[in-house]
Amino acid sequence: MNKIWITLLLICVVSVASWFYLVNQKQAGTVTLQFQARVGDKPLKFNQTIYPNPGGEGQFQIRNIQLYLSNIQLQGKTHRYQLTDSYHLARFDNASKSYLIEFHDVPYDQYSKVMISIGVDESANSSIMPRGDLDPNNRMAWSWEVGYKFILFEGTLAQAEKIQPLVYHVGFSENYKPLEFQLPKPITPEGARINFDVDILAMFNSSETINMVELPTVKFDRKDARLIAENYASMVTLSADSTGLSRPKKVDK
Amino acid sequence: MSKPVLIATISCLSLLGVAYSFFTATDVNPTPLSSFTAPFVYGHFKVPSENPLSKEGVALGRLLFYDKRLSGNNTVSCATCHLQRLAFTDGKAKSVGVSGRKLAFNSMSLANTLWGPQHFFWDGRAQSLEEQALIPIQHPDEMAQDLDELIAELKADEYYLTLFRQAYGQINAQNIAFAIASFERTLVSSNSKYDQFLRGELTLTGQEEHGRKLFMAHPDVKASLRGGNCIDCHSQFLTSGFKAKFDGFANNGLDSDNNLELGLEKVTKMNTDRGKFKVPTLRNIALTGPYMHDGRFETLEQVLDHYDQGIKISATLSPLIMEANNQLNDDEQMQISLNLNEDEKLAIIAFLHTLTDYTFISNEQFSNPFPTEQAQNE
Repeated sequence: MNKIWITLLLICVVSVASWFYLVNQKQAGTVTLQFQARVGDKPLKFNQTIYPNPGGEGQFQIRNIQLYLSNIQLQGKTHRYQLTDSYHLARFDNASKSYLIEFHDVPYDQYSKVMISIGVDESANSSIMPRGDLDPNNRMAWSWEVGYKFILFEGTLAQAEKIQPLVYHVGFSENYKPLEFQLPKPITPEGARINFDVDILAMFNSSETINMVELPTVKFDRKDARLIAENYASMVTLSADSTGLSRPKKVDK
Repeated sequence: MSKPVLIATISCLSLLGVAYSFFTATDVNPTPLSSFTAPFVYGHFKVPSENPLSKEGVALGRLLFYDKRLSGNNTVSCATCHLQRLAFTDGKAKSVGVSGRKLAFNSMSLANTLWGPQHFFWDGRAQSLEEQALIPIQHPDEMAQDLDELIAELKADEYYLTLFRQAYGQINAQNIAFAIASFERTLVSSNSKYDQFLRGELTLTGQEEHGRKLFMAHPDVKASLRGGNCIDCHSQFLTSGFKAKFDGFANNGLDSDNNLELGLEKVTKMNTDRGKFKVPTLRNIALTGPYMHDGRFETLEQVLDHYDQGIKISATLSPLIMEANNQLNDDEQMQISLNLNEDEKLAIIAFLHTLTDYTFISNEQFSNPFPTEQAQNE
């Protein structure tokens, strides 16, 4: 009788132990970053003249908005996880007005910090080698002498019966903005999602308020470009539900 | 399971397997196209995984491209409207097919379609080259061919039977499209004077270089940068429209709101796409006139004049065209103008001429494979 009991006990111990091990197995997994676009406190809607000019008269509409998010890193207790060729061209012209980046096979760790840069680092910006979403033939390349646009905003401003085109193409290596986000609660891979808000209005209304009537375009003027860049440095923020551990929702492409 | 049952099951399964391999057609093993290369500055491209490039597929596609049996009355082939010597256009404002009626559109050049915007035709009607290939064949005004009849015609030809067997297995509509699309993917134009300049093999003349700089620049009066604003739609090395989604379609100010054609709206059903047409490649542009989707401009000079002074305002006009100006606006008039001077226009045209690729239009791999007496359209 003893023998049987000991065997059964052993089996129990082993199965409980392996169950614990399997459940808590420190496995690599997926981390999803979701970037939800909005315009100030309003949702993003394309081709609708509904947003007030932050610094003056009139209302504007957005035809195109896209920006480079790059060199994304996750800081854990023991690892700093970085994807190679991490250049992501974020666009929001889908039903949910959001952009998803999925990192697969992220080694197990407790990640508490996320590093994201707006723009393209200098070495990649001065190269014409396609990598990540960088491609000299895409809409973000100015000409290969100048490098990439970090952010592209095109639209129109309507004021007093007049339609004025809006073109903000901002680049130049000095406007590369590395950002760091401290997560309120560390995340572990496997189904983890970190939510960010991308406030397009912040381009025109944060450290400086821009009157689109007076500054309808920014391209190669370095002073103007810096002005927008100081602003866009605060356009990406952690959402209130930044460490939602729910499964990421599928976003239509 | 007892031993005899196990043995019986295994033997049955193996027998079935042997029988299956006997009775089904032998596997098709086309030769992957290994010599296929492209300049890296052209960026990423994707060949659909269900239609990989093969030597046999491309050779078959070339034959089909030049075969008049693809049209209902056997008078017209793909090459009728896509002549190699004109960089695969036909030199007409609007193409004419078997019906003799003018089509609504200008025939498009077939260079570098491997990279071009991933939607084909002027209004983006096809999502792939495969899909595009079958549309003109069946269109009553283009080639007016019934696909079943075409398949029967091709099946009656021993040579085609062999070629299809080697490339794809059998003759069907999908494989006809696969072959034509494969041939089109090999039409790479990358040896123009501009390409040789990019490879460091030659220098451009002063005028061409001036034109290149203007081509690449969006004007910025504040930064004292003059520009022709071409690159805003014609992405730089390929000089075609942008790839992602429908980025490669634009309203370039040809018409005002009251006579704006549907364009891309026909496909997307969105009125914000009205008047947008596919941005064509400018590779070999000197050979591909008349210009625009309806061939309304005869010469490159007329095209430059349009962008300089002829832009018509409409609701979906590109803000980049609206905003591009080489002079500070001192009046409140909404006349859109690039304000280029004559020298600048001539310089841009000189640069456009450096995009002509003579090896492309004389490459024998792209030419009519049929004996010359049959190749009257060449």
